[in-house]
Amino acid sequence: MTFALFVVPVVLLLVGFPIFMVLLTAVTVALVFFMHVPLIVVHQNLFGSVNATPLLAVPFFIYAGELMGRGSVAQRLVDFVQGGVGSVRGSLGVTTVGTSAIFGAISGVSAATVATIGKVMVPAMRRAGYPEAFTAGLITSVGAIDVVIPPSIPMIVYGAAAEESVARLYAAGVFPGLMIAIMIAAYVMWRARREKFGAGEPFDLSRFLHATGRSIWALGAPVIILGGIYGGIFSPTEAAAVACVYAALVTALIFRELSLREIVEAAAATVFFTGQILIIVACAGVFAWLLTVNQVPAAVTAWLQHLNVSTWMLLLAINVLLLAVGCFLDPISAILLLSPLLVPIVKAAGIDGVHFGVVVTVNLAIGLFHPPFGINIFVAQSVLGLKLETIYRGIIPFVVIYLIALGLITYVPAISLSGMHLLLGK
Amino acid sequence: MIDRQLDRIARAIEWILALAFILAVLLNFTNVVGRYLFGIALLGADEVEVFIMVAMTFLGAVVVTQRNEHLRMDVLVRLMPKWARLVLRIAEQVLLMLLAGFVLKQSYFYAGQMLRIGRTSDMAGIPMWIPHGLVALGFTLILLLAGWRLFTVITRRDVVHAAPESGQVRE
Repeated sequence: MTFALFVVPVVLLLVGFPIFMVLLTAVTVALVFFMHVPLIVVHQNLFGSVNATPLLAVPFFIYAGELMGRGSVAQRLVDFVQGGVGSVRGSLGVTTVGTSAIFGAISGVSAATVATIGKVMVPAMRRAGYPEAFTAGLITSVGAIDVVIPPSIPMIVYGAAAEESVARLYAAGVFPGLMIAIMIAAYVMWRARREKFGAGEPFDLSRFLHATGRSIWALGAPVIILGGIYGGIFSPTEAAAVACVYAALVTALIFRELSLREIVEAAAATVFFTGQILIIVACAGVFAWLLTVNQVPAAVTAWLQHLNVSTWMLLLAINVLLLAVGCFLDPISAILLLSPLLVPIVKAAGIDGVHFGVVVTVNLAIGLFHPPFGINIFVAQSVLGLKLETIYRGIIPFVVIYLIALGLITYVPAISLSGMHLLLGK
Repeated sequence: MIDRQLDRIARAIEWILALAFILAVLLNFTNVVGRYLFGIALLGADEVEVFIMVAMTFLGAVVVTQRNEHLRMDVLVRLMPKWARLVLRIAEQVLLMLLAGFVLKQSYFYAGQMLRIGRTSDMAGIPMWIPHGLVALGFTLILLLAGWRLFTVITRRDVVHAAPESGQVRE
């Protein structure tokens, strides 16, 4: 059985087979050669894993982000944030952080944020004389905030895998996301002051009001999504559907930027990315069932209890594991592969499942831009025309900032859980 | 020629699913509006939406398979020589055919059972062989695609055609 559950997946993963095949092969080998259960369980679990209403939020949020990202929303948000913080030194960098955080509250798709915000901000920072490596590191790393600030696709997937409430996870992600944004903004201002670049402009109230007026419809999306969820008006799935309709109406009728064909094209892109993600969710569901019926999580938990590992050490070990995995795997695949093993262990250790969900998300968010293979690095390279070595050089300080934030989020659960208590009252 | 036809079929599946997906969004939105403004709900709308998502999962995977953009960890593969990648791609297609055939058999059997007993969904009354049959249909198409790709990789020695393109990760 060890061969089916561990050797087969690891070998197939290393030789580059698709993740869904890795999981399905492990399941098939285990069922055919090592277990005596009806093979129909494969179909039942494949179907059952995606026959779940909460998962609808995944394609809905992707679609809302697709619609909002195709028009001038990014430019409008940039103008709004720049209008507010333009007087501080390093304001373009701070604007990049602020706009990414707001955009993340609409789409929750990190690579899209790097591409969309980067197209606006990278040329502006170049013109203003920002160091190229600094610009590259900043734009490549800020997109990771998006998967921490709700709505977050990895959090939905974690919620499904760990049987945690997505609304609670979203509420718990707010403060950690804002904390990371503030830490990066503070670093940007410090670097700008030390190296004397990015001088601010005097605050212009009329310009700010004009930018606010132009961005008001774009700012409405996060208000509807987050206000709806935390106000108890919508479930996360419903909030995502409302956000889709809102995004379609705003971009097509108010901004007059999208045609009906482009709205359907955005839906087609959503179908494609949903196919990529949910086939893994389906196969991971069978794999998780297999682990559970073979009592693997229980055995690992018992082993760790026998070792008498402290909670502090356990979290440290899990962080190292997730950071390593995040360097090579996308967050959704990593969550689906590891949650069946890790969640029972941390719950047995008395760690809150929601807090752990945020820790997992931040870890894997770092993997999105961590050298050498973070996907956002390649997005910045291909879409924004930044050199790979420049990105690698520029990204190091931002990796350090995220690691400090990760340490705080891991060992101070209140940073996550206070948001949940404050916004949901429980 | 066949590749071009397969691209067209994949595109057609993608657009049909896109229209179905827009329907799912509108159904969900209508339910929210109906509940808050008129105190009514579309019974069974949730089931229709979820079944559309099931279609997006298993038929969407067909589109992803055709474009060779499944998510994978291809760090080591990129470092391998061409002959090793060719061997791996052949092995991948053979394994995919075996897996798709295995799942297809189970799903076909299950959907057939649903058809025989006439089971319908609780609220919308949709015959359950349809959503379950989508799993069988998806893996049938994946089986055929893997078969065609195996043929092209072997006959053309075309490692690029079958090599991982490293799926676009969205997060």
